[in-house]
Amino acid sequence: MNRLLAGACLLPLLAGPALAQSLTVAVQADVRSINPGVNRDDGTDDFVLQMVEGLVGYDEGGTPQPLLAEKVDVSADGKTYTFTLRQGVKFHNGAELTSADVLWNWTRYMDPKTDWRCTSEFDGRAGLKVESVEAPDARTVVMKIDKPNALFLDTMARTDCAMTAIIHKDSLKADGSFDKPIGTGPFKLGEWKRGEYFTMSAFEGYASPKTDGKIDGYVGSKRPLVKDVKFLVVKDPATITAGLTSGAIDLSEILASDVQELRKQPKLEVVTASTAVRQVLLIQTRDAVMGNLKLRQAIAAALDMGEVVAAASDNIGETNTSPIYSRSAYFGPVEKQGLKYDPARAKKLLAEAGYKGEKISILANKRPRVPSFPAAVVVQAMLQAAGINAEIEVLDWATQLDRYNKGNYQMQSFSFSARFDPAIAFEQFAGNKDKQPRKVWDNPEALAKIDRLMTLSDRAERQKLVDELHKQVIEDVPLIFMFNGVDAIAHSKRIKGFQPWQSKLRMWEVTAN
Amino acid sequence: MLRFALTRIVMAIPTLLIVAVSVFVLIRLIPGDPASLMLGDLATPASLADLRARLGLDQSLPVQFAIWFGNLLKGDLGISISSQQPILPLIVSRFWVSAQIVLVAVLLASLVAVPAGLIAAWKQDSALDIGLVALATLLLSIPTFWLGLLLLLFFGLKLGWLPVVGYVAIGDDPWRGLVYLVMPIMTLFLHEIGVLLRMARASTLEVLRLDYITHARAKGLSEMAVLWRHAFKNAFGPTWTLIGLVLGNLLGGIAVVETVFTIPGLGRLLVDSIFARDYPVIQGCMLFIAFTYVLVNLVIDLCYPLFDPRVTAQ
Amino acid sequence: MSSRTLKLPPLNALIGGALIGTLLVVAGIGAVWTPYDPLRLSFRYKLAPPSEMFWLGTDEFGRDVLSRLMAGAATSVWISVLTVALAVVLGTLIGLFSGYMRGWTDRVIMAFNDALLAFPGILLALGLLAVVGANKYGIILALGLAYTPSVARIVRGTALSLREREFIAASRVMGNSEGYTMARHILPNCIAPLTVLATSMFGYVLLAESALSFLGLGVPPPAPTWGNMLAASRPYIGQAMWLGIFPGLCISLTLLGINLLGDAVRDKLDPRMRGAR
Repeated sequence: MNRLLAGACLLPLLAGPALAQSLTVAVQADVRSINPGVNRDDGTDDFVLQMVEGLVGYDEGGTPQPLLAEKVDVSADGKTYTFTLRQGVKFHNGAELTSADVLWNWTRYMDPKTDWRCTSEFDGRAGLKVESVEAPDARTVVMKIDKPNALFLDTMARTDCAMTAIIHKDSLKADGSFDKPIGTGPFKLGEWKRGEYFTMSAFEGYASPKTDGKIDGYVGSKRPLVKDVKFLVVKDPATITAGLTSGAIDLSEILASDVQELRKQPKLEVVTASTAVRQVLLIQTRDAVMGNLKLRQAIAAALDMGEVVAAASDNIGETNTSPIYSRSAYFGPVEKQGLKYDPARAKKLLAEAGYKGEKISILANKRPRVPSFPAAVVVQAMLQAAGINAEIEVLDWATQLDRYNKGNYQMQSFSFSARFDPAIAFEQFAGNKDKQPRKVWDNPEALAKIDRLMTLSDRAERQKLVDELHKQVIEDVPLIFMFNGVDAIAHSKRIKGFQPWQSKLRMWEVTAN
Repeated sequence: MLRFALTRIVMAIPTLLIVAVSVFVLIRLIPGDPASLMLGDLATPASLADLRARLGLDQSLPVQFAIWFGNLLKGDLGISISSQQPILPLIVSRFWVSAQIVLVAVLLASLVAVPAGLIAAWKQDSALDIGLVALATLLLSIPTFWLGLLLLLFFGLKLGWLPVVGYVAIGDDPWRGLVYLVMPIMTLFLHEIGVLLRMARASTLEVLRLDYITHARAKGLSEMAVLWRHAFKNAFGPTWTLIGLVLGNLLGGIAVVETVFTIPGLGRLLVDSIFARDYPVIQGCMLFIAFTYVLVNLVIDLCYPLFDPRVTAQ
Repeated sequence: MSSRTLKLPPLNALIGGALIGTLLVVAGIGAVWTPYDPLRLSFRYKLAPPSEMFWLGTDEFGRDVLSRLMAGAATSVWISVLTVALAVVLGTLIGLFSGYMRGWTDRVIMAFNDALLAFPGILLALGLLAVVGANKYGIILALGLAYTPSVARIVRGTALSLREREFIAASRVMGNSEGYTMARHILPNCIAPLTVLATSMFGYVLLAESALSFLGLGVPPPAPTWGNMLAASRPYIGQAMWLGIFPGLCISLTLLGINLLGDAVRDKLDPRMRGAR
């Protein structure tokens, strides 16, 4: 009741346009929890991050920028970070954000009992250690790390860490267990009916970092302009298409194969945007057959990547054979040059490799929105045309992931989750195979370069390393990058201002009539 | 009769035990584990170890089984790995959703299919018979995910009579709840007609050949009386058994229909849990389905003597 | 029924035989020759409607549907036949034994049988495919075992009810062995319900793999099968109806043929019908 009253008092703060409409958005899976960064998956992060915010968040290009902080100062030795909090930021219950809240949250996140997904990223087990967190005054937080690290802010901003969100103490019950997120985000939690839907409503007391109406990742202008949003769990893509057509669903991600068809509908608008997800073909270099470098190079040369991408993405994807996301600042002229389709060279390499028609199995899965299977089909056809005896083995996703983690495969049609910083983009697949069998690339020279990339913060020096690593991957062929993920979203024309970005359905700055 | 029922219930205990042990073993033979699924390709050895410890997956299999089984004896099925909810209430609420669809669909299908099968058998080899068999075969061979989508496109989109997505519990709003159930029930109904019609026809054919039908005919009874009094009553037995099998199978197999029509039922829960490797939920669902199955078959067997006087419940 | 004095085969045998004959011929041809390579992709002809060039159109990868149907016929039929055979043989043995022995043997066997029966097929298929390996034989084993308990239950039911009949008692009194009695008197009486069950099972198997595909567990497609063609066609139901209709039609007609032929065969085999013609 108190909470209600407090909310009502805050109403006049936002004298923007009238919050009239309710929207229904279809999502493919229920959220796992509403506890930020604890029991999560991508869909859970998406929902939670509409309600909570961290000190820093990604901008549209994937660079961490101040969010709840007004600015972040880094000391000359690179070990002390000073965050100055923005003024006037309020939690959903009306309480004002202070540095004490940040301290309280940090203590909670570092407590193993919280089960925060990213505890091990900050306690030294993954290389980075936060040594102290202090609050000299109500608006300042000082964090000290053990050694300089170019990725500290990036890790804090990670969506799977739920942006290291700052929530109010009252988010917990008296016994310390999690109740519901009382955050500082543009929307507050509505109702959650497990397995069916979850809702959120506009937070009238929201203090947007900017108010110019320009969306920029998780920072920028974030005003909530619709009254409530209902996320409806719909598993079957065909049902979603029917729902969009009938008007029962206002907005949803759709299959690439439905883009053409839905574009023809007068009441719908279809938007596509590339994401930092990377579709790849993994190759196990320790396999008896695939250990042959010439064979791997022959495979790379046998793929007409333009055709592969067109077929696997239903003509909405763009070829990108670099580990670096095509919209990244590090995606330069060198990264644009990748694999080349060269059947003659493939033939020559294949002869040099001494390949005698050994069977090569490509693992794939049939998750509806992941192009693993179609990519495998096209690749298989092209390899067969080049005289390589490729076969497809379809597995369910959990089994394929298990084979990935154990390194037990010859080839896989796989996707790497979105990673913005080039150091992490490389680290994702490079490492010591003895310690971590899931690692794909174990060239020691390259590993040393990636380690340097982690600590380096000079832009030009980093670019040079990235370029070298890119060329080395193309040469070694421990995996083949094909294309970046593509979001395809269809929405009713009554919705204005929606922008697809990294598979996140951001509902701020979205209006409906 | 009562003794028979009690014996059967006691007999069900070993069956359920077998199910409990074999499900536990089987799902752990399947590659993949819930912790690595939750972390996906971003897992680090440290984060994976943390999560596995929290989920109790770091303990040995016998210990995991002992803990689970101990709790089971206390009536506690544990909590779900993916949703962190207690499992028993979750299963019960999902079960009611599935059960209302399955029961109504099978009841309606029996009402149509059994008389139709009787007529087909009576007019064996006529055009009517072959037509009915062809229709049943056609219905049987359209996958429910296809049939469901066709109904959805036709009634939901083309005619706009029925809602395309969503679900409202009957308990919350009986009228709207019913509206959401029409298409799923219709899909299952059409499919089951195919199954049941063929069974009813075959059983009736069987009976029609027996001597006492010839006797009855010879006694000058009307065809209607022969059919009803002798043929139908005797032919219903095997069909009745099949209805039991169908009911049991459907509870596990309704996942497809639930997927098409966004219905939060038990089948969908089970399939989702399998793909998420949510071990405690799979175990709970399987035990529950097995229990229901045993119960349904018990009821079927108890009713059997009512239709087939040759078999007595002992 | 007595009016059928002509030597002409009954209508069901005629139609059923024609359908199954066609199927076998198509499967035979498909095994050695198809108009196009069923695996060859062609991006120029994606989702082409039926035409003079592609009689039944092309799929989402531009592969010729007719060629795939022909090639798939052999695989589909083979998988179904083996699966049904496995289930029927295993189930009949278990059911006969259990129903005839009664008492504790029956109870123990039925406890296992019911346990297996209560397993939804998808879990069993997923588990076995993971253990045996995701290939044709994995599917046959998984689905075959999944359908065994229903066969066992039906056969047991028949055996139970027949056991009380006079002619079984007579056989025993005449000093015939248990095995002989089972084979000579009980087994033939199970044929009618078994034929019905086996023919429906044939349909389930053809469809089971498409249902598994739909739910997200793709059955590995080295060669096309009707089931996985049907499942793959679903996203295109609005723009390319033919993708689903043709494999669906193939499955329907095959099932119809099997049912009709099954009826005819049963009439021939049924002991009570012997000498009636």
